[in-house]
Amino acid sequence: MVALPSSAPGPATGSAALRVEAVSKSYGFTRALIDVSFSVGPGEIVGLLGPNGAGKSTAMKAVLGLVRPEAGRIAVFGQDVQSDPVAIRRQIGYVPETPSLYEFLTGAEYLDFVADMYDLPAETRRQRIPPFLAGLELAGHENSLISSYSQGMRQKIALIAGLLHHPRLLVLDEPLNGLDPRAARVVKDVVRDRATREGAGVLFSTHVLEIAQAMCDRIVILDHGSVLASGTVAALRERAGLAGSGLEEVFLALTGTGDLGDVVAALAR
Amino acid sequence: MELRKVRRLASVLIASQLRSGRSTSDPTSWLGRPAILAVADVGLFLVAFGALTAAIHGSTTSTAVWRSVVVGLLPLAPLAAVGVVLIAGTSFELMSSAKFASSDAANWMPILPREYVAASVTAIAFTYSPAIALVLGGIAPLAFAAGLGGAYVVAAVLSALALFEGALLVEMVRALSNRASSIGSGRRGTATVVLRAVLLIVVIVLLDLALNPLILIQFVNSLTGLPAIVGLVPLFWSSSALTSALGGHVLDAVAFVGAQVAFVALLAVVAGDLRKRYWVPVPVEVRLSEHRYAEGHPWLAGLGLSSSESAIVGKDLRGFVRRREMLPLLVIPIVLVVLLAVEGSGFGRFGLLIWVGWVAGFFGLLLAATSVGQERRGLQILFSFPVSARSVFRAKAAGALIPVLVGVVAMAVGVGLFFRFSVVDLVTGLVLALVAAVVLVLWGLVFASRYSDFQDRPRPQFVRPGPMIAATFSGIVILSAIVVPGAYAIAAPSAASVDFGLAATGIALAAGTIAFFLARSGFDRLFRELPF
Repeated sequence: MVALPSSAPGPATGSAALRVEAVSKSYGFTRALIDVSFSVGPGEIVGLLGPNGAGKSTAMKAVLGLVRPEAGRIAVFGQDVQSDPVAIRRQIGYVPETPSLYEFLTGAEYLDFVADMYDLPAETRRQRIPPFLAGLELAGHENSLISSYSQGMRQKIALIAGLLHHPRLLVLDEPLNGLDPRAARVVKDVVRDRATREGAGVLFSTHVLEIAQAMCDRIVILDHGSVLASGTVAALRERAGLAGSGLEEVFLALTGTGDLGDVVAALAR
Repeated sequence: MELRKVRRLASVLIASQLRSGRSTSDPTSWLGRPAILAVADVGLFLVAFGALTAAIHGSTTSTAVWRSVVVGLLPLAPLAAVGVVLIAGTSFELMSSAKFASSDAANWMPILPREYVAASVTAIAFTYSPAIALVLGGIAPLAFAAGLGGAYVVAAVLSALALFEGALLVEMVRALSNRASSIGSGRRGTATVVLRAVLLIVVIVLLDLALNPLILIQFVNSLTGLPAIVGLVPLFWSSSALTSALGGHVLDAVAFVGAQVAFVALLAVVAGDLRKRYWVPVPVEVRLSEHRYAEGHPWLAGLGLSSSESAIVGKDLRGFVRRREMLPLLVIPIVLVVLLAVEGSGFGRFGLLIWVGWVAGFFGLLLAATSVGQERRGLQILFSFPVSARSVFRAKAAGALIPVLVGVVAMAVGVGLFFRFSVVDLVTGLVLALVAAVVLVLWGLVFASRYSDFQDRPRPQFVRPGPMIAATFSGIVILSAIVVPGAYAIAAPSAASVDFGLAATGIALAAGTIAFFLARSGFDRLFRELPF
């Protein structure tokens, strides 16, 4: 494992890191979330899976209070996200699906900007930022404008920004997008480390089911805005009646897209 | 070169231009289709033609008079064509995001760089052709009434050529624009960023001043008197050809036309070569000085801003000097000050005070109104941070006020010294300008918080068009209500001065208070839920 900054408080105890209860959200006539409920415990990594447009990103934005559900309740460590959004966000680290970074800043300036947002003292940022840059092979690029970064470099900056303040809840929307294998491995290790050593809850969205299977303690599958299934991979296998199968087969079976023979045949023509 | 590909790509580029600035992007709307330009060309030509034909029929003016008018107007047509394309096209390219200036969207397809150039030039020329159709439609009845139909046809052909001439120059700017930083001798660091900004400002100021219609008319009037100089400037060869032809110097006219055609051909070759060179643009890597991680900005904290508020202000100030789409906001006050230096001596003290207050307020309005829209999709980042709506409101107000106040103090002191104001006039004038700036910044924030546009467009508009027009007009009304009585109170001390001063103060207080509460509630509402 690559050595990256880590504090060592024990796993948090008490209320769930995240509790989503019967949440619904619509955009015009489109129902993005319908009565969605799930939870993430302290130190637990929960994978949020689903086809494109299933509502994963909306659910994650709702957790941060970026979108307001019409019904239901979302609580982070027992506190409603709408009650004090500033205090809630201080406890969350968020990596959006498509990071919209300020391209006219350098990577170092952006990370300093983020550190200012979380009131991190200068000493702390000097301790934490350089090892992150080195671990993700960004050292030497930090004084270049973000506009000149590749997609993977932007993703790395967004990941550092999300992890920098050691949040108690990590909300990661496709965090491994565009990363090279080494960086992806580093990120997976750091996330696992944050969960096990610091007790951070992790809500993790990905389309790469092998990663979800390897990393996540539990899986929540969303489809058309509703929770289709949730539980451990073993429990999902059992529910799909596919003992011994991988998560990919289970996912395709549960989302009703298991028989792809006709599609493949059509594309092969 | 495959013309089929050129035509298809040109139609896509035209559609992209037509749809780039619109709030709604209904692809089926006829307003977003290239054919609308042909309809506009024909429609505007006929409207101008009909209006001028009716005017001529109702007039008793002699043919000789029409002839003298046409002799003055015809050489303007090609100049207007190249001017319109250069000003509008170049401004568009300088304001647009860098990623929209490259050929990335097409360079992986089986298309040659010269085919791309042909398509791009065709698209640019057609995009701005309605303006020239209007001009030619207006001149046509006059030319035929004056018996100068032949010269008119030549002018029309040369105007079309001028459209393509301007389009080729714009295409060259487009190809070069991704390499703007490397033009600065490959220098790295802050100096390169500043150099790039200065270069772009100079280009805009020079274009806007040099292609000012009044200056153009003056120049065309002097064409006959300055043949030697005009003969050296290719952009004026079409006009010189027409002036020569109308003056009976046929050989000179033919020579100018030949030179103009050759110049356009040369431009086409150069444009093709440039596009080929930057066909696959290399991202420009600007390295700034080493960064030492530290908290916020002490001088901003000294103003009472929190760590996160200071960070937002610092970020906005950096963006102000580094983002190419912010350049127009820098250029507008510079152009206004340049005009003041040129024309200011005739203003008088009252006029100068109004001008200073007006520039301060207008600059503040523009900066504040665009301050939230500048975030574009990055607003999502602000939303995810532990920062309240009120904090963002304070930061945006400070971020707009700081450059405005620095500029206002510099401008007021400069104007005061240049036009020899007394110390009392200077101080009171400065106070007036500062008050105008503060009120208009708050007024701008009202619109920024409620009507910002966060779409990632080739032509950034920051605030939705309708509200931006409303902000400008209402801002001008408020500015006038503050600045005119304030300037009068300062410039013409009398018994009534106190009344005017009080009126200006009262209006500023009322407008400022209303704007403050409207803007604050607007930010509260904006930060309830991500608007996209």
